[in-house]
Amino acid sequence: MTARRFSGRPSWRPNVAGFVTVAICVLAWEMTIQVGIFDYQYLPAPSAIVRGAGELAASGELITATLHTLESVFLGWAVAVAAGISLGLLLGSSPLLRRYSLATIEVLRPMPAIAFVPVALLLFGFSIQTELMVIVLPSLWPVLINTMGGLMEVHARLEEVGRTFRLSRSAILYKVFLPAATPAIMVGVRISLTLAVVLAVLAEMVGNPEGLGYAVVSQQQALRPDLMFVYVVVIGLLGLALNALLVGFVSMSFPAASAEFKGPRS
Amino acid sequence: MAGGETTGQQHRDFVFSCRSVSLKLPYQGGSRWILADISLDIRRGELFTIVGPSGTGKTTLIRVLGGLTPCTSGSVRINGQEIAGPPEGVVIVFQDYSHALLQWRTVYLNVALGIEGQVAASELRSRVVGVLRLVGLEKNADDYPWQLSGGMQQRVQIARALAVRPAVLLMDEPFAALDAMTKASLQDELLRVKQETGCSIVFITHDIEEAVYLGDRIAVISGTPGRIERTFDVPLPKPRDQIITRQSTEFLKFRYAVHQAIGGMTR
Repeated sequence: MTARRFSGRPSWRPNVAGFVTVAICVLAWEMTIQVGIFDYQYLPAPSAIVRGAGELAASGELITATLHTLESVFLGWAVAVAAGISLGLLLGSSPLLRRYSLATIEVLRPMPAIAFVPVALLLFGFSIQTELMVIVLPSLWPVLINTMGGLMEVHARLEEVGRTFRLSRSAILYKVFLPAATPAIMVGVRISLTLAVVLAVLAEMVGNPEGLGYAVVSQQQALRPDLMFVYVVVIGLLGLALNALLVGFVSMSFPAASAEFKGPRS
Repeated sequence: MAGGETTGQQHRDFVFSCRSVSLKLPYQGGSRWILADISLDIRRGELFTIVGPSGTGKTTLIRVLGGLTPCTSGSVRINGQEIAGPPEGVVIVFQDYSHALLQWRTVYLNVALGIEGQVAASELRSRVVGVLRLVGLEKNADDYPWQLSGGMQQRVQIARALAVRPAVLLMDEPFAALDAMTKASLQDELLRVKQETGCSIVFITHDIEEAVYLGDRIAVISGTPGRIERTFDVPLPKPRDQIITRQSTEFLKFRYAVHQAIGGMTR
């Protein structure tokens, strides 16, 4: 029983009950518009959105915008994860570094990402660098904080086990501390990915005029709400798919960590 | 009775020699003495039990022997060498197996921890399998620790320590968290393992019967800070048996004597 539950293999049973709710909502939306309960000029019915999706897919605009956004999400997230884990490891293992840097982190951390857009635009203009600047810093914090916290929460006994077996300091770090902190690190990595998607879209809406975020804005300005909604839905699906991919990857790569990882610790 | 007559070539007979070991630790802004003037010798190949009530520094003493905590004054020698950090050939088996095992590693990989990268792959495999067989866990090599019962997890920890072929096993109340039946079977297993490997064992416990049943010698530690009040030789016949040994007159006599030694001190 327990073994099954923790064995880390994602079970791919379709969530029928969940799909029913989604289907009912979409159907209700379609009905209210068809029947005319809601009569807004710019609120399209789901059927119109589906038609719009076909249009955008055929013209290739949808795939171009999606690929651009994916590229900035991945670049930004990769930089945030690499920097966050490295800094988190340093801070998690050195009380001295923590004493000097935690105050700075607490000042920087609550800064709203959008405040960086004007600065980024001045520095990098309409470019993917602008997007990256907006993405990286905010998605760095969850990784850094979770890595640091994960290391600090490793039970003192585990370090003593490493010492009694006369492991070197570096061996204790990568054989004991790092794997013990992996579930916490992965939580940070996952939060960071979700943030990166949101931030990429945001940066495209108000900064670099490319990708899904800009497409939403430009379709709105073109008074094509049906096409605008296509992009909104695609952004949602993108976030869902990336998260699912990451969860699957983690439960495959770290079977023992995934029991904790799948928990609602975000 | 007390192993006091130590001069000259003693480190052939003794693995550990402690002389006037005292230790204080920081405590609520000040500091507090945990161990006072501990002198004892652990003979090569013996099972030395240290028994005493909680709060007498038993665990601290084993940490000092294991090189995890340096003593404030006095000297601790292993094979004649002053210790500085965890000595080679000495491994601690901790009480809290759930914290001491690497939960993300299988039983096999837990046991390999102390020797991986130091011995050839084939040697590693045969040693791990060997010690797993010794503690009766050869079928559980691929399980994770959290899939095992408490007694089995503690066996994994013992196997992990044995895999490095230690000269001395330091055991800190290893069976305290286990139920009575598991405890009894692990006690017998430990005696069997000791016979097969020939290692010396220092075994901390607060269970007087356990101390008498397992020990070749017993030290009674008592008071705050902890002192060694007495040591007893326990010439009970071997192999020991959970029923026969425990109901023998000598066993009861030792149990009584240790009880008196502890009781006399705490009053």
